[in-house]
Order: sequence, then structure tokens, then C-alpha cells
Amino acid sequence: MTTCDPITLEIIKGTLRAAQLEMEALLERTAMSPVIREKKDFFAGYFDAQGQLITGTNLPLFGHIIQPILDQYPSQTMQSGDIYWYNDCYASNGGVSHSPDQVFAAPVFVRGQLVGFAQSWAHFHDIGGAWPGSMSPTATDIFQEGIIIPPVRLYQEGELNEDVFRIFLGNTRFPEQMQGDVRALTAAVRLGERRFVEMFERFGLDTVLDGFRGLNRQTRDGVVRQLRATFKPGSYAFADAVDGDGLGNGPLTIRMRLDVTADRIAIDATATDDQAPGPVNFLMNPAVPRMVFGIYAMATDPTLLINEGAMHAVDEVKLRPGSLLQPRFPAPLNQRGLTMIRTQNVCAGLLNVASGGQAVAASNAYSIHFFRGTNPDGMPFHMSDGVGVGHGARPYADGHDAVYYVAQENNPAEFVDIEFPMRLLGYGIHRDSGGPGRWRGGCGTVRTIQWMGEDAVMAARYDGVANPPWGVNGGRSARPGRACINPGTKHEREVKSLEDGAPVKRGDIIRFETGGGGGWGHPFDRESARVLDDVLGDYVSIEAARADYGVVIDEKGPRVDEAATAKLRRDHRPPAKLFHRRKYVDEMV
Amino acid sequence: MSEESAVAIDIGGTFTDIVLFDRRRGRIHNAKVPTTPADPSAGFMAGIDAALGAGGLPASSIRQVLHGTTVATNLILESKGVAAALLTTAGFKHVLEIGRHDIPRKANMYSWVKPKRPVPPQRVFEIAGRLDPAGNEIEKLDEAAVRDAARRIRALGVNAVAICFLHSYADARHERRACELVLAEHPQALVSISSEVLPVFREYERSMVTILNVYVMPAVSSYVAKLEERLQARNVAAPLLMMKSSGGVTGAATIRREPVQTALSGPAAGVVGAMFVGEASGHGNLISIDIGGTSADICLIRAGDPGVTVEGRVGDWPMPLPMIDINTIGAGGGSIAALAPSGGLTVGPRSAGAIPGPVAYGRGGTEPTVTDAHLALGHLTPYLLNGSMKLDRPAAVAAIEQKIGRPLGLDTMAAARGILSVVDNNMVGAIRVVSVERGHDPRDFALVPFGGAGPLHGGALARLLGIRTIIVPPAPGVLSALGLLVAQLKSDYSRTCLQRPLDYDLMRIGRVFAEMEEEAVQWLVREGVPPEGRVLLRQASLRYIHQGFELAVPWPDGGVTRDALDRCMAAFHRRHEQLYTFAQEDTPVEIVNLRLTAIGRLERPTLPRIAAGRGLDGARIGEQRVESASGVAPWPIYDRDRLGADTDLRGPAIVQQLDATTLVLPGQRGHVDDHGILIVTEEN
Repeated sequence: MTTCDPITLEIIKGTLRAAQLEMEALLERTAMSPVIREKKDFFAGYFDAQGQLITGTNLPLFGHIIQPILDQYPSQTMQSGDIYWYNDCYASNGGVSHSPDQVFAAPVFVRGQLVGFAQSWAHFHDIGGAWPGSMSPTATDIFQEGIIIPPVRLYQEGELNEDVFRIFLGNTRFPEQMQGDVRALTAAVRLGERRFVEMFERFGLDTVLDGFRGLNRQTRDGVVRQLRATFKPGSYAFADAVDGDGLGNGPLTIRMRLDVTADRIAIDATATDDQAPGPVNFLMNPAVPRMVFGIYAMATDPTLLINEGAMHAVDEVKLRPGSLLQPRFPAPLNQRGLTMIRTQNVCAGLLNVASGGQAVAASNAYSIHFFRGTNPDGMPFHMSDGVGVGHGARPYADGHDAVYYVAQENNPAEFVDIEFPMRLLGYGIHRDSGGPGRWRGGCGTVRTIQWMGEDAVMAARYDGVANPPWGVNGGRSARPGRACINPGTKHEREVKSLEDGAPVKRGDIIRFETGGGGGWGHPFDRESARVLDDVLGDYVSIEAARADYGVVIDEKGPRVDEAATAKLRRDHRPPAKLFHRRKYVDEMV
Repeated sequence: MSEESAVAIDIGGTFTDIVLFDRRRGRIHNAKVPTTPADPSAGFMAGIDAALGAGGLPASSIRQVLHGTTVATNLILESKGVAAALLTTAGFKHVLEIGRHDIPRKANMYSWVKPKRPVPPQRVFEIAGRLDPAGNEIEKLDEAAVRDAARRIRALGVNAVAICFLHSYADARHERRACELVLAEHPQALVSISSEVLPVFREYERSMVTILNVYVMPAVSSYVAKLEERLQARNVAAPLLMMKSSGGVTGAATIRREPVQTALSGPAAGVVGAMFVGEASGHGNLISIDIGGTSADICLIRAGDPGVTVEGRVGDWPMPLPMIDINTIGAGGGSIAALAPSGGLTVGPRSAGAIPGPVAYGRGGTEPTVTDAHLALGHLTPYLLNGSMKLDRPAAVAAIEQKIGRPLGLDTMAAARGILSVVDNNMVGAIRVVSVERGHDPRDFALVPFGGAGPLHGGALARLLGIRTIIVPPAPGVLSALGLLVAQLKSDYSRTCLQRPLDYDLMRIGRVFAEMEEEAVQWLVREGVPPEGRVLLRQASLRYIHQGFELAVPWPDGGVTRDALDRCMAAFHRRHEQLYTFAQEDTPVEIVNLRLTAIGRLERPTLPRIAAGRGLDGARIGEQRVESASGVAPWPIYDRDRLGADTDLRGPAIVQQLDATTLVLPGQRGHVDDHGILIVTEEN
């Protein structure tokens, strides 16, 4: 059998990356849903013939997404030119974790042999269900969240299955957009298919297949080495909680234990709370925590490819059916992002427990607000606007300020004003929301909107009010977000986290503040010049500079009063413990 | 008849290249002088003098001085621009800080650090006043706030001021008024308004480009002034024309006002030069690749037309001004080969640069580079620049063996070939981005490799891509200077003019084109272009309804009619299919931006003819052992300067000249045409 030499291995790696980028670029440029084209909620990748990941994404959100297709359509029944489509969360065991994400996959054949899959998924604007946009924090089962598509063959040997396609178009409120998005995804996986075939033709079947093994090995060795260095044998525990489920239940705690022996790393999440009646359930594919640790371990070596090898970061993942991380059908899932980010934070917590606080602090969950209603012509409208939050600080840098999540972009004010019946009045940093620390947690944002359209209802999705993102190693927790209609007037009305149905009418002002990320290291150790910079840039108030950082700012200048600062820092330095959420604690379990 | 000439000057890191065109005799003269980093204008003028001397022409003969500069590029890449301030719409103080609220798609979220903006929020001033997307005033401009901000900016000692208000692409009145008020309070201020720099929607990108414009303005301005002083001192009255990112040149006055136009101009001149050489050899479909020490710049030219994009980036920042669609990657002769912790071989983007340079240069470099691999394999002779520089082959071989070969378990020559394979593959990937990914088959194009290292890689790259013709310019190292010499005057205009299906407002489209045309003609008059030399090209950028990206297609000449619109849309469907594999003729199309390109034709030189040589043997200066995958063999070495017109040679061969080395691989043949262009083709 031909083997892949180390040079060819690198060339195959580069070719895979380029092909993946090309698929994503095509999708981004041609899709029609604003969620795809402006917010960029999509990713492309490759899988091998058994459904193992060959090249994936920096987003630890997805599991083994080809397997459900293979379960329905054994590989010997697949043919060149087929394209498979699904969004069925439960049938894929969380391969897709909420229904708006559509998976498209094209099997790739080389000389009659199935060699892998070109795959792409994207978030569609509307797939029916109880509300325009198919999402609501008030959902009580998955059927309200839109049409469920089991793995189906949308194309058979290159021929569109018109019957199936008509059913889908009949199940969206915006068929024109769905048609455009389907075309875009189809073109993307077709392109991916072509590039895959070209690669096999260039290097030869056996060489490429051996190359895939080599690349997996390379990543596996990299992450295993890194994690072994982080985790000494022992047992580590951490817990964090989602505030609530939107229906009045909560907090909902995710508990993980990490058991490390000389040759094995296992995660046990069975002590996590029961599933929620509301839609914050996160049907977590076991690949997700593996990927979180994998991506974390890969941060030091950008040359590694994200593939099946990264899954070897963790040897075993134990989940409990009926829990928040493994809900039973047909529990609602559409706000699972909140729980996913908490899960990521719990993984970070484990890293911190094991390393004595040398890992990243907790991040906030990306926030969204939705507006829905009916146009004068009787047609429904729906718009969603993602808003950046603060991310956790690191042992070497501040947390990201005003970032949503990987690769997703905001709606520019000039886009909002043109496209939506609203006017963006302001968009700034949410001062003092970042957790104080030697390295400051990222700050959230404040987005202020004036509603200009017909009567509508709004929903706000944010988290971390009752349980703000924690700080570590002396770093402190973040401050939370808030949503409010007509703030500061006698009509002021707060829109609670995960509330839906708040009425808005023309002229109303909506102020949406998002929360920050946790800090890292003792805030009294932050250089005073950096604190001054934060004050000047409106990231930190003068009051907070004093109270949180022990830095006295003289308003004239403004400049640092070094003598007063030194005294304050010397005499009033609060003693710290490993974690902080509103107060310092030794552990979070 | 009086003497007439045009001179082009390209300032590189080490050398300043000058190309002088003697219009009366139709001759081109090259000169090379050391770059003078402390004051580049010294080398600039010394170079002009050297070229005049070589051509026997007086300074008074010069009718045009053409120049490209990387002053703006370097200031932006190195964050070394001037302290600047921004006036923004009230509520948007953090427009730069927030940006598009994303982490780049390929970044690892745990290790990514948000880059520091060129203007910190404490120098961003919020001004009340608001327009709607159609340009109607919703709220009056707060003039007192503008005055107050101007006074505070002055008190800070800041002179560079950018103004970008929401929806100013639709109407410039608030920005213009604010500009007047700032100047009234702060007469020393250099002010740029976004509606002049880039009147198209998306406030973060427009704010950033306006900021970058003032950020580099003082340095570019004083640089231009110095050049003009030097020229004046030598009694050169000719206008100084500067290269822009779009591949055209414009007068120094325009560059002083909009220096950001030069931010990506570095590689543009080379593309123009490649087109010129391609044309001289009868090829209009070209892929140019300029390989220097640290990077490779790649461009696809179709029927003599390099694509223009408005989605470029410079460093961490978006640069939505029209620029030649050049794909730059960190791969060049100085790119370092290294092993990642995982054991994977990487080549670039880290570069040994000019200092310490490759191991073989003996200036302290210890990490093997692409140049070291070429030397180890025998592609380069141990002497460069006509023997003035000696290369240390044993040191290069030892570094490759120690750092790459042994850890990977490969013999040293296989490791050296591996380094080249990886870097070639990176370049092939970058070429695919501009060809295959844009719906073009590279096999329909000829490759033009240039820059110091281009002709070393041309043969291998062409084979990997299935390209059968390689055009090696007469002087590959100075093609950028030649490109400057043959560039046309060019200026681009664009306006956001959103038109939704069913009620396209042809009157408004006509009005917007007319406004831009008026502006363009004023510019052409200012640049002294006679009416017969003026060309105006209209374009519209369209998209399917609900899409987020536009494609620019030509708008037919003549009246703005329904028929013209239909033809424009038909062109859009075809372009969409070509780029993205499908068209959607059943889907409504919307117009987003209207654009206009004004071109002023300058008198261009033609590439001079060279004499017939004394045959191949007369050019042969030796041979060298080359290690290829199939074994070791002696390859003949030819002196490019002695290869006369109509000479044929067969690979394998090494063709040496002062500023580049060309590899002709086994199975390839070379032909020197009567312009001295070396055309390499596959035998089979």
C-alpha cells in the first residue's frame, strides 16, 4: 500500500484547508438568509467514508453529523451526485443541536469507491413552526421549532427530488429565501465534492487515505501531549449554571467531573440537572466536550488540522439521558446556545482546577434579540439581531470585548436602518461589564434601537444575570446584561432574560445591554496605565477603577494618582481565592 | 525636435530601480541605485540622474515622473501612523472598537487577541445629527458639538481628523459642514470626510478607511513634498504621478488628499508591468506571480483586464477601496522552513527578510529558507548579482539537514525538495484562489513569474497547474518599475444607490452616473488629459434580492434605459454563474452601488527589440550539478544577457541574469523573442 510521506501530508493538509475555505466563501456570497450572509452562521467540512471528521471548524458545536445519514442510507446505496439533507436533532443525537441548522452532505466517489463526504451546514431563517424565525424562548416542544427533516436524499445522482423540495418550501414563511439558501448550500457541497475528487486524482487514492490517517495522528498526538501536560492524574470537578429556561425554571446546573489516570481522560457529566421544560436543553453530542478540549489544546499549534484526532483529547464522555445535556425527545432545544457556552465554561473550569488557575476565565453567552409581527399586507416578518458579549480573560491577555462568537458578524447600523423597520440609535461598549482582573474580562455591548414599524413583539435572549461569568486566579466575575423597553421613562418595561412576547410599538426605544466575561488574576495587579486607558476608552468607570482595581484616577488630566493608588492597593487589597462569582470561592461544584 | 522622456522609480528595501523611456528614440534605459532609507528621496533623485546619464538625456527632457510608494502601507502594517481623531454619529463612539464583533473564521478563539485600533476611543467624538438611508435629514447637525470637539482635538495637539457620519454615502452635507467647522476652529487640521473617501454603506469599514486616510496623510504628504522639492531643484517641471492600489496613476495633489489610495499599490505596478510584457508577447490571458523575499503577489488578468475588488484588506483592517484583485501570501525566497510542534513541515509566512536573510547569505541566519533549498539542490549558483555576492552552500545544506531532514527522517536533498514542494503548493493554492475559485481554468492562461525569485518557481508552478506557457520578462527584477512607466491615469468613483426590483428608478441611476461623470471629467481636466485621451467606464454592482454580496458588472454605454438595465442584469446572471456555479434567473435582482472609472491615456513606450545573439553556445557560461527527484545531473548555465533574439534552448537549463535566475525544467523548451522575452513552453 502506498503511504503518504511527510511532505505530501502537509500538501494534502493545505489542499483540504483551501477547499474548505472555498466552500465557505461560496456559501457566504450566495446565501440569502441574513443569518448566513451577515451573521455568517455556517461552516463547511470534510468527512471520510465512515463519517469521521477530516477537517472541521473552530466551533465546538457539532458532533458526528454524517452518521445519521449513513444510518438511513447505507453507504452501498449511495451514488455519485447524491446530496443528503437533514436537521433532525434527536435522530442525529445532537449532531445538529437545534432545528434551524440544516446539514447538506454530498458523498464523494473516486473510481466507484466512496471516499468521503463534502458537507456544509447553515442556519436557515425560517423553517415553519409556531413563530416566524422558528425560535422562541417560550417553546415547550421541538415541534414548535419548525419542520423536522430526517435524513433525506434531496438529489439522487444529480437529479433534484422535486417532491421533497416542494414540501420544504411549503413549510417556510419565506420560500424565496429558503430556495436561495438551498441553492447556495447545494453549490457549496458540489464544489467541495469536485475539489475532493481533484485531490484524490492528484495524489492517488491510497496516498490520500493514508494522509488522512497521518493528519488525524498528528492532531491526536498534539492534543494528547498538551492535555497530558495540563492534567496530572487525579479527579477534578466543576459546576456552573444556566440562569433559567425561560419558563421560570432554574438555575440549571451542569456538573462535570474529570477523571485522569496515567493513560486515560474521562468526563462524567451525569450529575448535571434534569432537562428543562423550556428550550435551553442542549442535546450534546459526546464529540462536543472532546472538541472543546481539543480546540483548547490546539491553541498553541495553529498548524494542526481540526479533525477526528482532536476528539482523542478525551477518551470517554458519560452523559445521563433525561438531563440538561441529554434531553429526551421531544424537549425543545432552540436556545441551546446558552447551555453550550456554559458547557464550554465548565470545561474551562476543569482546566483551571487542574492547572491551579492557569486557563481561560468564563465567557458570556452570545445574545440575540428578536422582533416579530405582521406587515400591513398580512405577511409575517421576523428579524433577529445578534449582539456581542464579553469573553473570558486569559493568563496572557484581556478577554475579547464585544465579540459574538467565532466568525459571526453583526448587522451594521446602516444595514439595520435600510433593511429593518428600526433605527439604530447607539452601539457601544457596556462599561464596567467586564470582570475585573490583572487581565480584564471582555466587556459586553449596549445596542439602542428605535422601533419604526408596525406593532410587534420582541424576545431577548441573554444569560449570566443570576450567574455571571466567573473570574479565576484572583480575577472577578463579570457584570450582567439587561434588556429594557423605553428605559428611564414612565413606560419603562424590563424584558427579562429569555422572555418572549414583549409588545413594542412605533417609536419605542429598546436598550439591550449584554454582559461581560470573567477576569483573570488579581485586579490590583493590573498596571495602572492600563486601567487609565480603560477609563479613557469608556471600558471602566472612574468609580470602578477605584473600587475594583484600586486605581485612583484624578479627573483632571485625567491621570493616575500614583501615590493614592499605591496606598489604596497596599492597604485594601482583598484576599483572593481560585474562583470568583460575586465573591471569592475556593471551588465551584 | 526636442528631447522627451518619462521616468519611473520603484523604491525597494535594498535597491531603487529606475526605468527611463526615451520617447524620441523609442529606447528604454534601466538603472539601479542603493535605496536610501533615511531619506528615500535622495536615492530617488540619484536614480533619476543615473538613468538620465545612461540615456544621455537632460533632466529638462522629462515629461512625466511615475512613482509607487509603500509609505502608507508600511505605516498601516506597523501601526506607525499619526495620532488621529474621529468624529462619529452620536451613539457610535465605539464603532471602531466593536467593528463587526467577530473573531476571524480561521482563528482559535482561545489564542486570538483583538488588534488595537488606529484611533483609541478617547479620540472618538460623538456628534448629534442624523440622516436616514435616503439622505434626508432626521436631526440637525449639532454644530456646537463639532466646534467643541475641534477645540478639544486641537488642545490634544492632534491634527489629523476623520469624519464619518451614518448614511453620509447618501448625502454629504453634514460631513461637509462639520469639516468647515473643524477647520474654522482648528486651521492646522488635516480633515478627511468619508463621503469623499468612500461614499458606500457599512459604517465600520467606511470609518476605518477614512481614519486610515488621515492616519497616513502627514507622512505621505511630506514624502511627496520632498520628492517634489528634489525634482524642482533639478528643474524637472514634469508632473509627479503616483501609483494607486487600483493599478492606475494619479497626480500628487490627489494622493495628498487621499493617500489611502496608495495603501495596496505596492504590487499593483508589477501587475501592470506583467500585462505590458504579456501584450508584447501576444498574450492577454495571464496569471502574474511576483515572488520576492517574504511574499508572493498573484493576479489573474483576463483579456488584458486585471480584476478590481473592493473587498481588500491591509493588515487587520478592511480596505473597501477599488484595488487590483491581488492575492498575497507569505511565501518568498526568504520564507523560513520549520517544523511545528506536531512535526508538520511549514514554510513561511515567517521570513528571514533581508537581515539576517537565508543561511547561505552568511549574515547570521540559522533557519533554512526557500533560497537555501534552491541553493542546496543546485538551482542557484554560489554567486549572485554577477558575482558580487557569494552564497554558502555547505551552510545551507547543513541547516536543512539539521532542522528539517533529520527530524523528519528524510535525506537532505529530499528535505530540500520537500521545502520547495510545500512552498510551491502554497503558491498553487493562492493561484487557485484567483483562477479556479473565480471560475477560470488556469490552463487557459500564461504564467508571468517575476520578482527576484519568480523565475525559479515558474516552471514548477506551471506544471502543477497544467499551464503550458511561461512568460519570463526581460528584466524580471525590475518589472514593477516598468509597470509604473506604462500605467494609465485612473480614478474611481462609487455611490451607494439602492434600487429594489420592480421600481428601478432609471432617472436616479442616470443622475448618479452624471454626477460621477462630472466629477471624473473635472479630475481629468486637472490632470491635463486632452478630450481624446479620456475614457469613462460605468459599472453597477448587483445582487439577488436577500443576498449580502454584490458583483460588479459593466453598465452599457449610452443612455440609461430599460434595455441597458436588462443587459446589465444579463451580464450579472452570467457572472454569478461563472463565479458561483449557478445563476438564478427566476430571482429578482437589486442594484446596490454605481461605479465609474475614469482613465486618462498617457503615451506608452513599446518594448524595444533586442539584437540577434551569437547562438546558444555563445551564451553558455558553465554547468552545475542539480539534484532532482530522478537523480543528479549536470544542467547547463546560460547568461540571459547573451541570449539574443530568436534563440531556442531546451531544458534542463539554468538561465542567469543580474536580478533573477530562471529554471527551465527537463521537458520544457525556451524561446527568446525579439523583445528579449523568454517564453518557456512544455515540449509535449
